[in-house]
Amino acid sequence: MIDLLGITKTYTTGAQSMQVLKGVDLVVETGELVAIMGSSGSGKSTLLNILGLLDGYDEGMYRLGGKNMAKLTERRAAELRREMLGFVFQSFNLIGFKSAAENVALPLYYQKVPRKDRLRRSHELLERVGLLEWADHLPSQMSGGQKQRVAIARALAAQPRVILADEPTGALDSATSKEVMALLKELNGDAMTMVVVTHEAEIAAECQRTIRLRDGLVESAADV
Amino acid sequence: MFDRDAWLEVAHNVLAHPLRTTLTGISVALGVFILVVMQGLGYGLQNGVEGQFADDAVNSIWVKGGRTQMAYRGQLPNRPIKLTNADVTGLSTQADTVPASSRRIRLWGAEVVWENPNGKNRGGGFGVRGVDPAHIDLERSILLSGRYINDRDVIESRKVAVVGPNIVRDLFRDVDPLGEFIRINAVVFQVVGTFEDPGSRWENRVAYIPFSTAQQLYRTDGGIDQVLYSTGDMATEATVAQSNRMRTWLKDVKAVHPDDSRGVDVDNNNEEYAMYASIFDGIRLFIWGIGLMTLLAGAVGVANILAIGVKERTKEIGVRKALGANNGSIVGLVVMESTVLMLVSGSLGLMLAVGLLTTVAPMADHEYFQNPQVDHSIALFALLVLVLVGLASGLGPALRAVAIRPVEALRDE
Repeated sequence: MIDLLGITKTYTTGAQSMQVLKGVDLVVETGELVAIMGSSGSGKSTLLNILGLLDGYDEGMYRLGGKNMAKLTERRAAELRREMLGFVFQSFNLIGFKSAAENVALPLYYQKVPRKDRLRRSHELLERVGLLEWADHLPSQMSGGQKQRVAIARALAAQPRVILADEPTGALDSATSKEVMALLKELNGDAMTMVVVTHEAEIAAECQRTIRLRDGLVESAADV
Repeated sequence: MFDRDAWLEVAHNVLAHPLRTTLTGISVALGVFILVVMQGLGYGLQNGVEGQFADDAVNSIWVKGGRTQMAYRGQLPNRPIKLTNADVTGLSTQADTVPASSRRIRLWGAEVVWENPNGKNRGGGFGVRGVDPAHIDLERSILLSGRYINDRDVIESRKVAVVGPNIVRDLFRDVDPLGEFIRINAVVFQVVGTFEDPGSRWENRVAYIPFSTAQQLYRTDGGIDQVLYSTGDMATEATVAQSNRMRTWLKDVKAVHPDDSRGVDVDNNNEEYAMYASIFDGIRLFIWGIGLMTLLAGAVGVANILAIGVKERTKEIGVRKALGANNGSIVGLVVMESTVLMLVSGSLGLMLAVGLLTTVAPMADHEYFQNPQVDHSIALFALLVLVLVGLASGLGPALRAVAIRPVEALRDE
């Protein structure tokens, strides 16, 4: 599903430039649940940006679903994000003034799905993550675990091929973390590829495989 | 971009931030309100000043005799100067063209009585003027019924009268005055017309009779109280030259010292009007200046609020991008929001200003301040400026916001 070969990325700030990724090789098969681990500064969020088509890369090759992602226009990248990718964030990033159902429906808005269909689909997804009765609540009225489940429902809304989760349990207590990971694993069963960025070994242990990043290079791709 | 969903999204975002929306709205509404009200007041001032000139034709020169202050050519001071028919003929030779003109005899208080054939006579004290036919244009009277004084009236010294609205009201009430007979100080005249003079309350209390008739009855020495000359479409400078010539000529003929300012009175309305016009241009410039500054201050405030608004929404914009929004749709959303906000609150300010002016207008009836009104083109201009400012002030921050890499925006906690 995901094919990276020799990806490099350099950020230039004023006169200083820093190479964050120094040639990352990475393969994630369809339906896999993979953890990316690494200390801060290892380049794991940069890698996630590149995987999520939110940022470009300098050299190397990135194939997503067999298609080359080189030199995408901004519009085409947005289109691919809509069709292929779902995001789950550490701080949930729900839109505060929208209800749970509206938050889940938002990706479908950008796919130009009619309003009625959007809301029907968002209710289905909320039911699937066990939050149907919370559909009309605002994020501020929900607990952290509930918010992350809404965010996961939102990531699923557009029926993506890949879910990219950036520290999905970073803001949750251990009991809630387990629930969220269980939910992700359950969804992974639907032939959905998942990449989870984390610094917690326990979370990585729940995944099928862990990729360790160190100083902009893949250290090991050991099977677990 | 302009589908129902986009509008719903805009409405949702605007209503979800009531404080920000209210603050932005108030500054915009205030800017438009102040601009339009200032302009309305400016118009009131202009109408007032122009009303002062509505009484008489602007393009006219008014000549009358005065009283000398200085001894000259063996004559003592304090000598009254009387115009005669010969003077009028001579003055006309000083004009560039053969001007329309009217001589005038003025009677300040005369007893005017309606000879009512079917009942009691009614009378009162009114003004009487003997005039020539051209007087109607020089005094800017409006003929309401019948006819004005004509040439034959003057040649034959007929005893006919054209009466003002106050005489019609006080004497005739509901009776049609045309053809009725009135007695002016014991001489009977037939009413042949009625007029009104919107520019002068006094003139509405007057009966006009032929000049020759008035001269025979009231100025048996052949005197003329006043002569009015039209200057047609002459340029102001040319009329000034002409009125100066007339003054010099008349002073010479009447043996008035050249430096005596009271002996003869030659008033050039052109000159006065030009002076008022330039004063008014200044006032208008001043009002425009204040209005535009106010609008600008409002616009800067709005731009500021929008910039803060977009900044605090960096995260939301990041989320939207991650969920598949492209940059265009985000910029479009923000710009639509700011424009809608500007238009709605601008219209609100406009309606308030129009409401205020419409309420106040009937109460404003000062000599120099009348009928303040809204200039629609200025109102539209103000709205247009606000929309453009809305676009510009929304566009800048929105472009900056989408330039931020979403994951950085999302990771700021």
